[in-house]
Amino acid sequence: MTGFLDYVPGSSVLHRLDPLTKLVLSLCVCISAFLTDNLIFLLVLVGMDLLLGVLGGVFQKALRLLSGLLKLSVFLFLLQVLFVRSGAVLFEYGILKITLDGLFVGARLVLRLTAATLPLQLLLSVTQLSDLSGVLVQRLFVPYKYAFTLTTAIRFIPVFAAEMSGIMEAQTARGVEFDTKNPVKKIGLLLPLCAPLLISSVGKIHESAAAAELRGFTLRTRASQSKRYAFIPADYAFLVFSLLLIAAGILF
Amino acid sequence: MIEIHGLSFRYAGSDRDALQNIELTVPDGDFLGIIGPSGAGKTTLIHSVCGLVPHRRGGDFYGSVTVDGMDTVDAELTDLARVVGTVLQDVDSQMVAANVDDELRFGLENFGAPKDEIEERIVEALRAAGIEDLRDRVIGSLSGGQKQRVAIAAILALRPKILLLDEPTGELDPAVSEQIFRILREMNERFGMTVIVVEQKIMLLSSYAKTLAVLNDGQLEVAGPVREVLKESRRLEEIGVNCPRVVTLSRHIEDLTSGAIAATVEEAEAMVREVLR
Repeated sequence: MTGFLDYVPGSSVLHRLDPLTKLVLSLCVCISAFLTDNLIFLLVLVGMDLLLGVLGGVFQKALRLLSGLLKLSVFLFLLQVLFVRSGAVLFEYGILKITLDGLFVGARLVLRLTAATLPLQLLLSVTQLSDLSGVLVQRLFVPYKYAFTLTTAIRFIPVFAAEMSGIMEAQTARGVEFDTKNPVKKIGLLLPLCAPLLISSVGKIHESAAAAELRGFTLRTRASQSKRYAFIPADYAFLVFSLLLIAAGILF
Repeated sequence: MIEIHGLSFRYAGSDRDALQNIELTVPDGDFLGIIGPSGAGKTTLIHSVCGLVPHRRGGDFYGSVTVDGMDTVDAELTDLARVVGTVLQDVDSQMVAANVDDELRFGLENFGAPKDEIEERIVEALRAAGIEDLRDRVIGSLSGGQKQRVAIAAILALRPKILLLDEPTGELDPAVSEQIFRILREMNERFGMTVIVVEQKIMLLSSYAKTLAVLNDGQLEVAGPVREVLKESRRLEEIGVNCPRVVTLSRHIEDLTSGAIAATVEEAEAMVREVLR
């Protein structure tokens, strides 16, 4: 099973697009989601994210992220509904007060979160990290060090996750109750793990830096990259589409 | 050629020397195996040759290490890296790219290999490491042995004169370990690459290496041609280095063989046949 940020190899039109186009498209979807206040347009954006997922052959993965976001969404929704006090009152009991505004604000927050998270995951599913950093360096003149930092950070997420579960398994084997059902207790047990995780992570990063340097990292310049990127016709179509999304975000 | 004279090194904050007064010369084209109990200074020795000590590992450095005419203290780390290719111990943290192709490309691009040569050198390195089929794979999906071979291929693509490896078979099963050593022998014999490998499995070293260096507690106990070093098997066992069983066997029948030492199973077989004749 691949992690939810991993690249999924494929040959769909999304895979073949220029990495820059994909970056622009996913950023535009995010921006558009923040510009608009219209619930229906937000729903359309989420639908379009899923449609792009189908196009890129990563629909299953998008659904998995969606179901992962569900818990957080429910929590955020309830929080908004309970704390927004303005607008027409729909239900009142003691200090509990549910208003129409509350429902709207909650729904907007949740949809916005979903519409803005999906494209970033989609981007990473259909674009190799090296292409992403490559295009940042080549086209956007981002210094290689920063591009490398960004891609390394993303690449290290699963490594640290594995490290974390390794530490947890080791401690469970020694009788720490990580399998407890009580979430508060679980968080209490997790906190002391931060220190060993941090120490081993810093160690890994040091080793990683040394290895990169031994392979000429410091010599690298913008011209070092041997891969070149070029637009295909579909790129222009997707770029225009991205601009339209921004316009729609402002209009609605 | 690598010349190490009077090398002592103490890591910053440590109260003992990781290496003490090491004297070692490694001629071009050698295949040197470094062995010794853990904490003996094997990794520190490797790091002193590739320049991580003292450039990136702080501490007190005495003596001199000269690699291909460059003094490692004066030379820049990257200049050393043009001559010395290093495969570090932790294979996971060495990977800089998300897929195999980019992993090999990284070093080539950095060192400015001609653009029209890159493709050829990637193919050649993948073939040498026996992993042509892995080229488009995502690194995260590879097994330990495959990753190790990717790490080696990424270094081979740079065509270094000297190849350093720190416990390349640490987490691998015997069959894959043999494969790795066959790659190293091929590089050594066909391309005259100098190979220095830290390894715990003495049987592998005695079958593949030309010379052995035994470290113990920061000091060089014995160094020399494999067979000469294996003759000191009693001393090796005292410091916790187990000798291959064929060596133990040779020792048990040394009265009959006038002290000859078998380093490989084939040699031992021949020796026993001779004795029984």
